[in-house]
Amino acid sequence: MDLQEKKKTETAPASAGADSKGYFDPWWWLVFAVIGMIILLITTRPDPFMRILLFVRDGIGVTIQTTIISFFLVLIVGLIAALGRISRSRILSGIATVYVEIVRGIPLLVQLLFWYFAFPSVIQGIGSALNIEALKNYLANPVGMAILGITFCYAAYMSEIYRAGIQSISKGQMEAARSLGMSYVQAMRYVILPQAVRVILPPVGNEFISILKDSSLVSVVAVADMTRRGREFMAANFIPVETWSMIALLYLVMTLLAARLVTFIERKSRLER
Amino acid sequence: MAPIIQIKNVHKRFGSVHALRGVSLDVERGEVVVIIGPSGSGKSTLLRCINRLEEFNEGSIVVDGIPLDTAENINAVRTEVGMVFQQFNLFPHLSVMDNITLAQRIIRKRDKAEADEIAIQLLNKVGIPEKAKALPGQLSGGQQQRVAIARALAMNPKIMLFDEPTSALDPEMIQEVLDVMMNLAQEGMTMVVVSHEMGFARAAANRAILMDSGQIVEEAPPNVLFTNPTQERTKEFLSRVL
Ligand SMILES: Nc1ncnc2c1ncn2[C@@H]1O[C@H](COP(=O)(O)OP(=O)(O)O)[C@@H](O)[C@H]1O
Ligand SMILES: [Mg+2]
Repeated sequence: MDLQEKKKTETAPASAGADSKGYFDPWWWLVFAVIGMIILLITTRPDPFMRILLFVRDGIGVTIQTTIISFFLVLIVGLIAALGRISRSRILSGIATVYVEIVRGIPLLVQLLFWYFAFPSVIQGIGSALNIEALKNYLANPVGMAILGITFCYAAYMSEIYRAGIQSISKGQMEAARSLGMSYVQAMRYVILPQAVRVILPPVGNEFISILKDSSLVSVVAVADMTRRGREFMAANFIPVETWSMIALLYLVMTLLAARLVTFIERKSRLER
Repeated sequence: MAPIIQIKNVHKRFGSVHALRGVSLDVERGEVVVIIGPSGSGKSTLLRCINRLEEFNEGSIVVDGIPLDTAENINAVRTEVGMVFQQFNLFPHLSVMDNITLAQRIIRKRDKAEADEIAIQLLNKVGIPEKAKALPGQLSGGQQQRVAIARALAMNPKIMLFDEPTSALDPEMIQEVLDVMMNLAQEGMTMVVVSHEMGFARAAANRAILMDSGQIVEEAPPNVLFTNPTQERTKEFLSRVL
């Protein structure tokens, strides 16, 4: 009887609703523990912990915003690069391959420094050479350059994930679609990508979490994210243990929550299959 | 009227493998042609050249008056030629219904109601109307292949190509697929079928063709080819298969 019931809930389709008495992800306890820790700290010792939190508050927003915008751009640019790599055109696949290889060989921190400090000088140089006023006076926008740098780098990694996903779908799928008269783009859109998405969901989720963490690197290019605000607080107050513990806990909450979200989406897509 | 498929001196090479060595074949409207021959003899490659899933190196193929040259013409031919594969190749993420309506809607531009109605008619025709909402993975092999036939028919093709449609099936499911194909033949569909089902060939085919090493070795009405072959290679092949 008991066993039968268990089997039922396991095989029930997702449309049966969020099964409240069903499976509860034990990792949630960790999320609650970390949140509880933060609350405990700011209530029992508001000075300095509440002060730190208030000081870095706008940095939390910048971190989240940078991460989410970058992630969506990475999804788009990565797909374009992946389609380039699997393209039968030698030129397209050549360009895409060189791009991926270059990006993967340079640390993200160095890439960010290049985009923020070197790229504007290059543009200004071109501006003076061609005598174009708009380029001569070009000034880098920190957040824009940070998002550009993260996207340029992570899209290369993402393209490899897409490529593996697309190539995991049997060739017969493309052939069946083409034999029905679909164009390459239609076959990708309606047949290949919807299947590939399910394969690549877990690694794409991991990339999101990596971007969230690596977004801390943008603090070196004048973006006032959580990490940079932490450094500023440090410089004024000299309490490294409290400051960096708080910043670490804040990152931890975000990554743990993101991981839960990824697991939730994965489970949902598995049930819908 | 000109033959609906005109294949002239087609050559196909995969690197050093010469898969088709000057194949010429005309198929008349309403004709059913069965192709037999040993594995690796180029049967699949020939079928796949007819709807240009495979490019050929030399020769020409004209389908219903359309030469297979420009991308536009190739797409035009593909909408007139249905293909059924050994491995079914249904779209596993879509229901049976959506498998049959997808191309109707995006290529034939039919609205949902019209496409659905056609799909239901075709599911009735292949004998599994009750499976409309199922996913391909929930069907038996024979049922999947019948859905694949319905999916191809939904585009109103003038020609149907079958590449070993029953080879991946358990023996007890072969007949249900052959029955559907037999009905199609009786309705006058032009069909090119790669299959070693001799019973089907005798009952439905106007012509049987033996291929070996990328060439057509012999062609004759099935009864003649199977019982009185003239070529040594045909005799040898039949003695191994029968
Ligand atoms: N995509 C391919 N790449 C390389 N060789 C191939 C490819 N497809 C078929 N061949 C070769 O072409 C020959 C004919 O193959 P095929 O048409 O599949 O034969 P059949 O369908 O009669 O078994 C075989 O030697 C096969 O190995
Ligand atoms: Mg074959």
